[in-house]
Amino acid sequence: MDREHIRNFSIIAHIDHGKSTLADRILELTDTVAKRDMQDQILDSLELERERGITIKLNVVQLKYKAKNGEEYIFHLIDTPGHVDFTYEVSRSLAACDGAILVVDASQGIEAQTLANTYLALDNDLEIMPVINKIDLPSADIDRTKNEIEEIIGLDCSEAPCISAKTGQNVEDVLEGIVRFLPAPKGDIDEPLKALVFDSYYDSYRGVVVFICVKDGEVKVGDRIRFMQADSEYEVTELGVKTPYESKREKLSAGEVGYLCASIKSIQDINIGDTITSVKEPCKQALPGYRKMNPMVYCGMYPTDNNKYNDLRDALEKLSLNDSSLTYEAESSKALGFGFRLGFLGLLHMEVVQERLEREYGLNLIATAPSVIYKVTMTDGSVIYIDNPSMMPEATLVDFIEEPYVKASIMVPNEYIGPVMQLSQDKRGIYKDMVYIDDNRNQLIYEMPLSEIIFEYFDKLKSVSRGYASLDYEIIGYRPGNLVKMDILINGEIVDALSIIVHRDFAYKRGQAITVKLKELLPKQQFEIPIQAAIGNKVIARTNIKSLRKDVLAKCYGGDISRKKKLLEKQKEGKKRMKAIGSVEIPQEAFMAVLSLDDE
Amino acid sequence: MNEVKHLYVHVPFCRSICFYCDFCHRIYDQELAQKWLHRLRKEMEDALRPGYETIYIGGGTPTALGYGELKTLLQLLKPYSAQVCEYTIEANPESLDEDKTALMKEFGINRVSLGVQSTDEEILRSLNRKHDFLLIQEKIALLRKYGLDNISVDLMYSLPGQTMEKLQKSLDDILSLDVPHISIYSLTIEENSVFGRKGIRSLDDETEADMYELIERVLCGNGYRHYEISNYCKDDRYSRHNMAYWNYEDFIGISLAAASKVGNRRYTNTRSFERYFSSNDIREEDLCLDKKEQMFEHIMMSLRTDIGLDIKDFENQYGCKIKEEYPQGVDNPHIVIEKGRMYCKDPAILNTVLLDFME
Repeated sequence: MDREHIRNFSIIAHIDHGKSTLADRILELTDTVAKRDMQDQILDSLELERERGITIKLNVVQLKYKAKNGEEYIFHLIDTPGHVDFTYEVSRSLAACDGAILVVDASQGIEAQTLANTYLALDNDLEIMPVINKIDLPSADIDRTKNEIEEIIGLDCSEAPCISAKTGQNVEDVLEGIVRFLPAPKGDIDEPLKALVFDSYYDSYRGVVVFICVKDGEVKVGDRIRFMQADSEYEVTELGVKTPYESKREKLSAGEVGYLCASIKSIQDINIGDTITSVKEPCKQALPGYRKMNPMVYCGMYPTDNNKYNDLRDALEKLSLNDSSLTYEAESSKALGFGFRLGFLGLLHMEVVQERLEREYGLNLIATAPSVIYKVTMTDGSVIYIDNPSMMPEATLVDFIEEPYVKASIMVPNEYIGPVMQLSQDKRGIYKDMVYIDDNRNQLIYEMPLSEIIFEYFDKLKSVSRGYASLDYEIIGYRPGNLVKMDILINGEIVDALSIIVHRDFAYKRGQAITVKLKELLPKQQFEIPIQAAIGNKVIARTNIKSLRKDVLAKCYGGDISRKKKLLEKQKEGKKRMKAIGSVEIPQEAFMAVLSLDDE
Repeated sequence: MNEVKHLYVHVPFCRSICFYCDFCHRIYDQELAQKWLHRLRKEMEDALRPGYETIYIGGGTPTALGYGELKTLLQLLKPYSAQVCEYTIEANPESLDEDKTALMKEFGINRVSLGVQSTDEEILRSLNRKHDFLLIQEKIALLRKYGLDNISVDLMYSLPGQTMEKLQKSLDDILSLDVPHISIYSLTIEENSVFGRKGIRSLDDETEADMYELIERVLCGNGYRHYEISNYCKDDRYSRHNMAYWNYEDFIGISLAAASKVGNRRYTNTRSFERYFSSNDIREEDLCLDKKEQMFEHIMMSLRTDIGLDIKDFENQYGCKIKEEYPQGVDNPHIVIEKGRMYCKDPAILNTVLLDFME
């Protein structure tokens, strides 16, 4: 197939604006998937994606479309996640594309993340075709939505398809639009091979499977290829495209998107963003690759069973191949033993990783509360970065602490401006600007510490706006803050995994909330146990877990011995699953208690 | 010469089913009872030797049997009761009558455990019990008339709808009976009981603990000795039979669902009437306990009582040093070692304390 008849594109949309549904319809209309094999969200292959109704991993599928001009086209649809945490995944998929479809919900209008992802696409020089979706809803307002897109993003909407992905209405217009408005790939088949590695995963039979987008030249089974950045060579053993099932090919040419196997055993050998070229006739310059996204949020993850440490390490190794924005390094905690410090792009990313580790790798994990990276200037002038609150040096050695700030952009309907502003102020937000989008909606701009967004801003934002506000943020640098390390003491002992960094003004309230929450979560012990929150040596909140008063089986005669013993054995097992801090057993949930949401 | 000194006989019949109970029982039926007695005779011949020091007829409800069947049962047991010093039968107020009382006396029964549970009528109805306090008073007078004055009363607390006041009233009523022994159990919701199936919940832990403490205060204040977690006695009239369980002595149990422990063997009979009637192999569970298991069970049982565990006897029996074997256990702050015995200071939280004796 010549390049002129290929289109490589992504679909950009805010969560729930109908991206996956549109992808499903496109697959049906192009007969890519037989009706009987069709299931909702077919591109979302992770179990977790389907359950949560979100896209986490990018996925690629090849479709054939016979256009109204009578010619046949090959489309490569590269799916992208919509959530702010997965910006890195989005930029990876966009680099493999030449165009993008921007899906906007006609009843909701443009949202914060739509904007962020659209700007990403524009940064990648992609052609963007707007699509107005959900026109079947009674609350749909097509003109207003078109107006918003033209006003805010500056895209012409005069020929934008207006569709209902749900009912299938006008979806054909989208396919025609792809042919008419989106460009064909630019590469040259006569140039030496140049292909972008944009994703990979590990397959126990074939080794590492690499997803590539061929920019120039072509690659054939049996070719010797070189990964330019990794400086390693392999022989291609298998090539293919996803339809969405794997379909083998003898070669992939400029403009095509597919997968490649080359008996690559080690996952460390593959860098996402690397360029593949031919050993025989190498290209002169590698593709620019990706800007590495730095993790924003860190937390400790520990196997509940200390013997599973190696299993966790193996799982992280495999998972990070598939999720290159995840970082990890070994750490140990007095309370939790040996584990890893993991870095994530955001909270959703963290949750997704924990769930994938538990589900796909069968691990039982304890996660500590997430933390941002603090920049600490010591009294001797040296600077250190702290991503684990328990590592914060003693206050007397610290000159000042800085924390990451973000520029938060919140889109909100008029009636919720008050509560959203109040919330943002409560979370140490600094008001910067308010932009009128239309009669009913505004964009608020705040500068705010990232740690506040992590703690509860997003959840609260949704609740004060009844779900109507949307949020996007970008890091804008470090700023000093009046920050202190707060320790939690259980029975007089500091539990390192429970320490947090908190703004001094909020310390009392947080300390109170955490101790009360822990009191609910910790099982009663044989003696009264104090739970304290302390800054340095100063206790700022205290509560007691009452002592256990009665736990015994009332009746125990000859016939009850077996049963009674089984009961005790069960109790003992339960105890083993908790982490013992001194003489106190701490259940898993307690380690997340420092995130306590109900501190009001 | 019989090595095993203690015999338990399970009577698997009741006249009605109490809502908290999941014991092995059926509604009384004359034909079934006859068949049961017939099979029991055979089991006795297979399993029993003469010379028991204590015999305990429990259930179910032994007095649910008709006069004739009760007489047959006691006759069957006669060869084994020659050396008995404590011979107990459980009785329900509504099925205990003068004829049966005379029969008990005649066959040497010298201790009666009466199921009372509560004296509050509302609570009794909610448990599906058929008596009232007046009937209790009558039946206790009846027992005494026949010289059966070693009487134990069974009570319950932490019952749905029970308040501290209602419990106090029940305790006052029971004190007025001046019986030498009281067993008082907190309600445990058994999955297979009527309560369990209805999803009834017991009271919260704190209330239960308050009640436990009230009971101890009231009964000990009135001259009772709190000699086991759920048992109180006066004038040294503790239950010899039950004490054997708590001292981890050997015992034999016969009839359905009864358990036995002989040396390192513990076995339990089937709960199925069908299997009991049709098979010679009636053991549902038959365990061979290793030394570690026996040691733990021994501790688990003895720490329930106020006399605790005789350390020297224990160490001789198992050939070990208790402090070396259970360093964490003896270190538990609720464990006291005094005058050669080991006690649990606060048996109400014995489960948690026992975890320190486990690996």
